[in-house]
Amino acid sequence: MGTVPEIAIIGYAQSPSWRRAELTEPQFLFPVISDAIERAGIERRDIGFTCAGSCDYLSGQTFAFVMNLEAVGAWPPISESHVEMDGAWALYEAWVRLQHGDVDTALAFGSGKSSPGTPAEIYPLQMDPYTLTPLGIDPVSIAALQARAMLDRNLITEHEMAAIAARSRAAAKGNPYAQVSGDFDVDALLAEPYVTAPLRKHDLPPISDGATAVVLATAAKAKEVCEHPVWIRGIDHRIEIHQPGMRDLTESPSTRLAGEHAGVGEGKVDAAELSASFTHQEKILRNELGLGDDVEINPSGGALAANPMMAVGLSRFAEAARQIAEHGKHRVVAHATSGQALQQNLVAVLEA
Amino acid sequence: MTKGTEPVEGMDYFMQLEYHELLCPVVRRYAEALRAGKLIGHRCPKCGLVYAPPRGYCPIDVIETTDADEVQLADRGVVTNYTVVTPVQYYGQEETEPFAKVSIQLDDPGGALSLQDVLEVPVDQVRVGMRVEAVWAPPKERDTGEIGNRSFGSAAGAIRGWRPTGEPDLPADQIMQAAF
Repeated sequence: MGTVPEIAIIGYAQSPSWRRAELTEPQFLFPVISDAIERAGIERRDIGFTCAGSCDYLSGQTFAFVMNLEAVGAWPPISESHVEMDGAWALYEAWVRLQHGDVDTALAFGSGKSSPGTPAEIYPLQMDPYTLTPLGIDPVSIAALQARAMLDRNLITEHEMAAIAARSRAAAKGNPYAQVSGDFDVDALLAEPYVTAPLRKHDLPPISDGATAVVLATAAKAKEVCEHPVWIRGIDHRIEIHQPGMRDLTESPSTRLAGEHAGVGEGKVDAAELSASFTHQEKILRNELGLGDDVEINPSGGALAANPMMAVGLSRFAEAARQIAEHGKHRVVAHATSGQALQQNLVAVLEA
Repeated sequence: MTKGTEPVEGMDYFMQLEYHELLCPVVRRYAEALRAGKLIGHRCPKCGLVYAPPRGYCPIDVIETTDADEVQLADRGVVTNYTVVTPVQYYGQEETEPFAKVSIQLDDPGGALSLQDVLEVPVDQVRVGMRVEAVWAPPKERDTGEIGNRSFGSAAGAIRGWRPTGEPDLPADQIMQAAF
């Protein structure tokens, strides 16, 4: 990774994670984008490239992503792109765009409203239309198959899963954007009924509406406008086959590869913000990234505390950058995921 | 049969997704005004552009707008653009005859509504520059259930359509800047 120009995060902002936002997506994106730009210490007109991540299926309208651009500013014209993916991949595109060297700042944002639709009906539509969509197989069902496979091989216990939920919710007490937080007793959590066996409610992420924005800059620009830039030392993403039946769901080779290429193992990791939407996935990700017990996992509470689809991965970048810029950490890993049961994974190493 | 030459078979898969989105406060207020027989918008305090329905921000100046920026709009205006739709009888199509949808630039203080229906005019006589006025549904029949957060410039359920006022047309060059 040493051969590519270094890029830094110089600004970030998030909306709260709401169960049901009253505002429209462009309306709640509006202050988030303004805040991120203001914190970056640059002017809106200085931004050389803009990339957004959102999903029209969530919004229930074709070209809904075009409306979101109103929160960026409709005039004068800008250089802009969109990914039908989490905002973390918008950040990746912005990172690639900055490699060209002709622009020195980029804005990446992600937003989504899961509340108007029914996730269990929408997500099967992203699956193979012949064998999987007609089954109506939804994210919770696939995650339950994945958790079952782990339990059957003694790779995790239900107690460990509940402990991950309790730790995440306790950590989220310090996160003003979190939707689920508080002190929970592991045994009490385990006494709750299954939602989809072997998953209980605490193993699932909340259904959330929200947005996140991150501002990137080239090294020269970052040093000019920002006292403490957060450097992206490595970033990589990998994808696995679509058909979940052809994967060993207890592993995540795409995460392992992305982590290796991002350079996770090349130094001590202080903390990691992982997009583990289900408790058991945290353990898979830790294993694949080689994160030991000394690494603080999801100090924000992670996706189990706030899960705005299409922004939750980019939030990991914002939270990882916060750990460095505001909490004195030196080296933090950010992870985002896409597809079903950790099908596609993006890993980045951020440093002070 | 040689491999690869078998007939391709289709398979039907019908799906339906339902969405229930809360109306955001500014659109809720717009819908309430429509039921009361009024069109309202927000005027950007910086550039003066009028947005109907209000959006809660001006995307040009990137500033938020509030109830303080609310203005009552005229229910008369001029057709700035139109399209004639010739229905294809695809699944779910209810229209059978060609119909026009028009954009209307409202008289002062301004604002524009899009995809409006024209009444009392044959489709082939709809034209740019035509002066029109709103035909409101009677108060008891007004139903703004179709107004959503993304119903750009819609007055559906409250205004049935727009009919010619009989005034002379405005020359097209006077409304070029308002074409939408």
